[in-house]
Amino acid sequence: MFRGETGMLLELQNVTRLYGTVIGVNDVTLSLAAGAHGLLGPNGAGKTTLLNLITGQLSPTIGSVRVLGMVSRSNPNLLRRIGYLPSTEGMYADVSALEWVTYLTRLQGFNAHEASGLALQALERVDLAEHMHRNISTYSRGMRQRTRLAQAIAHDPELLILDEPFSGLDPIARHSMTCLLEGWISEGRSLIIASHVLHEIESLTRSFLLLGSGRLLASGSTDDMNELLADVPSEVRIRVNKPRELAADLLRSGLADAVKLIGAEDLSVSTALSAQLGRFLGKAVTEGEYVVSELHAVDDSLQNVFNSLMKIHRGSV
Amino acid sequence: MSVVDSPRPAGNAAFNLLIGTIQRIPPVVWFEWRRAFTISRLAWMLSLMAFPPGLLFLVNMAARNEPRVEVVSILIFILCACVVCMMSVFLWATPVLSSELEGRSWVYLAVRPYGPIAVLIGKYLVAVSWAVPVGLVSATLSVFVFNAEDRGHLIAVHSGLVLLSCLAYSALFLLIGVIAPKKCMVAGIIYTIIFEVAFALIPAAVNMLTVQYRLRCLLIRWMDFDKALAERNPVFLSYFGDESSAWHVGVLLGMTAGYLIVAGIILRCREFTAAIETES
Repeated sequence: MFRGETGMLLELQNVTRLYGTVIGVNDVTLSLAAGAHGLLGPNGAGKTTLLNLITGQLSPTIGSVRVLGMVSRSNPNLLRRIGYLPSTEGMYADVSALEWVTYLTRLQGFNAHEASGLALQALERVDLAEHMHRNISTYSRGMRQRTRLAQAIAHDPELLILDEPFSGLDPIARHSMTCLLEGWISEGRSLIIASHVLHEIESLTRSFLLLGSGRLLASGSTDDMNELLADVPSEVRIRVNKPRELAADLLRSGLADAVKLIGAEDLSVSTALSAQLGRFLGKAVTEGEYVVSELHAVDDSLQNVFNSLMKIHRGSV
Repeated sequence: MSVVDSPRPAGNAAFNLLIGTIQRIPPVVWFEWRRAFTISRLAWMLSLMAFPPGLLFLVNMAARNEPRVEVVSILIFILCACVVCMMSVFLWATPVLSSELEGRSWVYLAVRPYGPIAVLIGKYLVAVSWAVPVGLVSATLSVFVFNAEDRGHLIAVHSGLVLLSCLAYSALFLLIGVIAPKKCMVAGIIYTIIFEVAFALIPAAVNMLTVQYRLRCLLIRWMDFDKALAERNPVFLSYFGDESSAWHVGVLLGMTAGYLIVAGIILRCREFTAAIETES
């Protein structure tokens, strides 16, 4: 467990970061307790800027950033306690994984012997010990990603910060990475993981921060998100035995704003009351009025979730 | 298992910075030395090393008479302490930061405690440690091309100049690389032409700001050319000044330390990280 002055993992107070006239992060205020947290947002949402602020590589134009109770900018005491996996590769191709991870661990302040031992442990942990003497230039994408993770965990940080760790990985490598991070979390350590793909981090944490256009759109658990989005206009596709009758019922009850028959059994419903629609269909199916063989939201991609949240944010919903 | 240094009170921030940085320099030097030890780099350094003695051998062959010691010394100075040392440290020290930024490896170093400054100083030492032997061997071989009377004195003088040249120019080019990382090579060439070549030859106060002026003055003092030059024409004094050798060495070392300190301050205060979102 970390030792912060306030006991919080992360505290951002009205943080704004400008790049000239471009806003990277816009008035973000949040507090996170120890644990695993997902930072979600489409490309350009400000995730990397936020992580750069957290790791102290950038200072906020306005506001304050405290990590583990400490000011983040150029703070060696903080840097000893965090591990960071950036989204960019940036490894030296002409050295082996063991040399590179040992070098970076030495820069953490460990002597040569300790750093070598820690690097070895980290590479074993990411299942790369067999290939660690080979030059990084000969590695596959997955192996390079695991090497990058090894440098982030080698010095045994209290807080691990990962920026798009699944990017470019094949399904097997993704699974392997997920298992590794699940192990990390199960040891009671803290993790902040940024991604633009919801399902990548759904299995790791239920605490999310949603960023869009540099703003914090929402934060909380998946249930909180669902509740927030429950009444946002959405399109639902239903495969039902009597689509015409169901369309008439939905329109009559006011649960649907618009309906569209697709083929003989499919019905596309536009609704602002998806939670009530769900309850209505549940009751109808239980009472045997309809046989629903398929029900799903058409626009459940993360991008649409963000679009909906942006609409809420702007007050247009 | 424990880290080498431990947190100290905030009042000791400067002391912590110094100690933390010093502790992390040896791994950087060791790592960068091993990375630099490639056949292509060795070949380049050997070529650079052979260039002055080769050229001077041709000059000596073409000369009707054995050149005077002043001419020999000035030629060795220009070729070794100026051209060879300047070129080798220029290629090493100027892109220290830009190569890390372009390779996107900087972020891994920037999130290490005291990492950026330790990397800067470590790479500076690597640049000096590669350039000095090249300059020393080159100057020594060049001395043996001519049938000079006091070869030991010539070698000693030019070795001193090579050492000071490498120390000062490495720091200067490192600073230029930190100030303008995106256009460091162009900035380095422009600075060298304007200040170290053009301004250094202007007999005014401005030339005292150049490394070239100090090295030139040291050559004249250490070779005892100053009295002869002053007797021949007092205007030469404006090119070489009348300060002592110790003063020039002190100023050169001071300039070196100053360049490194300013580079370190810039590195610590400036943000070199741009937000790059992953595209996929």
